[in-house]
Amino acid sequence: MVSLTRQIEIVLRVAKREVNMLLRRPVYIFSTIFVMFFSCVFFLTLFKTGSPEKMPIAVVDLDHSAISRRVVHELNATQAVDIVAVTDTYEQGRRLMQQGRVYAFVVIPERFYADLASFKRPEVVFYMNNAYTIGASTASKQLLTVMTLASGAFQREVLRKKGLPEYLIMKRLQPIAVESHFIGNPSSNYLVYLTGIILPGILGLIVLMITIYSIGLELKGKTSRDWLRAAQGSFTRAMVGKLLPHVVLYCAMGVTMNIVLVRMMHFPVNGSFVWLNVGMVAYILAMQSIAVTFVGIIPILRVALSAGALYGMLSFSLSGFTFPKMGMLPFVQALTNLFPLRHYYLIYVNEVLLGNPITQSLPAVAVLIAFTGLQMLIMRRLHKALLYQYFPKD
Amino acid sequence: MNIQRWIDELLTRLGDTWRVYVLELRRIFRDSGVMLIFFVAGLAYPVIYNLIYVRNVVENVEVAVVDMSCSPASREFVYRFDAAPEVEVTHTCATMEEAQALLKAQKIHGILYIPADYESILLTGLETAHISLYCDMSSFLYMKNVLTAANMVMLDYMNNIQIDRYEAMNIGEEMSWALVQSVPFKAVPLFNPTGGYGTFLVPPILALIVHQTLFFGINMLQGTAREENTEVFILPGRRRRASVFRLLIGRGAAYFVIYMAIASFGMILIPIIFDLPHLAAVGDVLRFMVPFLLSTIYFSIFFGSFQKERETGMVTMLFSSLIFFFISGVSWPWESMNPFWKGLGYLLPSTWGMHGYIHLQSMGATLETTAREYRMLWVLTAVYFGACALLYAYKAWRMDTTARREQALRKQMVMERIATERKRIEDKQEKGKQFIEQHIRHSRL
Repeated sequence: MVSLTRQIEIVLRVAKREVNMLLRRPVYIFSTIFVMFFSCVFFLTLFKTGSPEKMPIAVVDLDHSAISRRVVHELNATQAVDIVAVTDTYEQGRRLMQQGRVYAFVVIPERFYADLASFKRPEVVFYMNNAYTIGASTASKQLLTVMTLASGAFQREVLRKKGLPEYLIMKRLQPIAVESHFIGNPSSNYLVYLTGIILPGILGLIVLMITIYSIGLELKGKTSRDWLRAAQGSFTRAMVGKLLPHVVLYCAMGVTMNIVLVRMMHFPVNGSFVWLNVGMVAYILAMQSIAVTFVGIIPILRVALSAGALYGMLSFSLSGFTFPKMGMLPFVQALTNLFPLRHYYLIYVNEVLLGNPITQSLPAVAVLIAFTGLQMLIMRRLHKALLYQYFPKD
Repeated sequence: MNIQRWIDELLTRLGDTWRVYVLELRRIFRDSGVMLIFFVAGLAYPVIYNLIYVRNVVENVEVAVVDMSCSPASREFVYRFDAAPEVEVTHTCATMEEAQALLKAQKIHGILYIPADYESILLTGLETAHISLYCDMSSFLYMKNVLTAANMVMLDYMNNIQIDRYEAMNIGEEMSWALVQSVPFKAVPLFNPTGGYGTFLVPPILALIVHQTLFFGINMLQGTAREENTEVFILPGRRRRASVFRLLIGRGAAYFVIYMAIASFGMILIPIIFDLPHLAAVGDVLRFMVPFLLSTIYFSIFFGSFQKERETGMVTMLFSSLIFFFISGVSWPWESMNPFWKGLGYLLPSTWGMHGYIHLQSMGATLETTAREYRMLWVLTAVYFGACALLYAYKAWRMDTTARREQALRKQMVMERIATERKRIEDKQEKGKQFIEQHIRHSRL
């Protein structure tokens, strides 16, 4: 039995060997620190504003009257939408939409002025392009507001003529109002909702790919025996020593990312920031365990990487942060549990948005910790592969 | 005679291109990693993404109602709210605390709160009655559903109240409507009429899958070539290397032929199988795929030549799939994007490929209407082909110079050796001569 201090010494020696390897290859620095840094900058600067504004639309003016021209003018003046074209036919409006130049177009019908004057209520139709959901829904929301306001202005004119006092008119125009409260994200900022999961997702991809790469490379370069020798023949010490520098690096990156999001970008945190980071560490360990499992099942660097990539990319859709889990097929819902990002997402919702007591996050953390046990299943197979190097190099 | 030479020259060039093409195909089919990316990922991913989003719309999001008013008016509102397809009232709570606990436990994703004075305010008509809505922000679609349902019911209900009030003021019904809604307003979704999330997201993803599998596959082959030092081909049976243009055209053709099949499956067949929008003429999609695939191929060859090992492409660039998706402006509109990233997105074949594909398949545009995207893809093809040509010309030149330098070095070494040998022989001869001379001199003595 080797003494504990001796064990630690050996593990540290393996770790030192790993650090040397990490520093020797620029690909490591590039695909960990640089990729994470670039992704943070990209997703935090991609959006000009927290919610989209001023969508381009077109107006199809079939009326050609003074009033229809005024409607166009007023619409433009509201600053809510950006009228890029005024056309004479429906076909032209549709064509502009098919060219992707407008998200919506408004059709002002023929005899609009005449009908309006005789209280015949001419109908304005607003065509929107749902193939671009966010653009179309923003444009439609903005137009709806403008039209409601216009209708209100018309009513106010009439009521004023009827001699109602101004303060009563306002109440009369809007008998009911719905006040929306967005729990945990008061400004309903799209950025908060998106980056809070996408960036940890990218970190997860990095953990997965780099772990597979660093172990697989020992097999490809036939240096695995040298690695085991450095650990004095113990597979456990070899693994711990090798993964230790990685874990330190990833956890530092994950926690830094959370600090940047919360402290610099002022993301709301309604629960425990510490617990969010505990979740982050558990998530990183879970991804690492999955990576070891992949390379254990297929100890061929290239194939393990391809398989890992196929798996990793699915995390984003299956975590359910855009399209919720309840909308998926039952067997797909079951599959979501196989992705650590799903469980990190649950912790994120709990700690950032809902602010529940930490006991609510415990199940998800427990699942992530259970994932770390996964690598135990393939340890013998991986050990043999490292020892005998009997798998094809590529 | 001149024509004869011209034809010969042409045939040689075509033959070279053909050889490169065959060699590249052989490299692709011999590489199990590339085969996995092209044929497993390229064919399975479109199916998997469809399975994830097959239900397309989220309906009946669970909400709770806290009705403090308990009046006919509030019950009417709740009834209409429940009837909206987007939400379903699953809990009726007595207190706000109770509802909030349910939301925190994620049993519900929204709360509709109607205050106690709701009906009395409506009846007096002197103030605005406020209804509060609390949205769970854990998923974008929960929020969207709850908001849409509440706002639609509110607008609808508000009009009814106003009509009643005007009628009470002895304004006729027709006139009341003219007052409340002088201009009725109807929103008609022209494309993706169900407003489904899957029918919005999956089409651009299908184009992106083609782009990314091609990108990673080519990256892997480029890395392998760099490892084996066979980036610039030496044609079999010939001692010279292939010219840059013959090399690029031959290699591009190999990927193009394989990917016309894979992309046809993902971008034409899959939408039919899974009933995604497929409004375009098949011929138009095929014609659109030509510049899309070519620009992607040369884009990938160009960036792939910076990979030094076969595996590094996948390790370093996997995150690019997300960047390429968000930079394209398909989900977050271009108009609200940072101009720098928008400009960068213009340089990517994936951006124009996704937009063009949506225009064709989801919006039923013709290739003529999609001219902007189609033309941009040809421009990018030219740009990246040019970039590849320059890069390869440089690589070939460097290879030639190294070869020439080596040759010169070798020649020098040989010359030196010859010189020393000659000197040795000369020395020997000289010695011999001297010996003989001495001998003769001695013998004369």
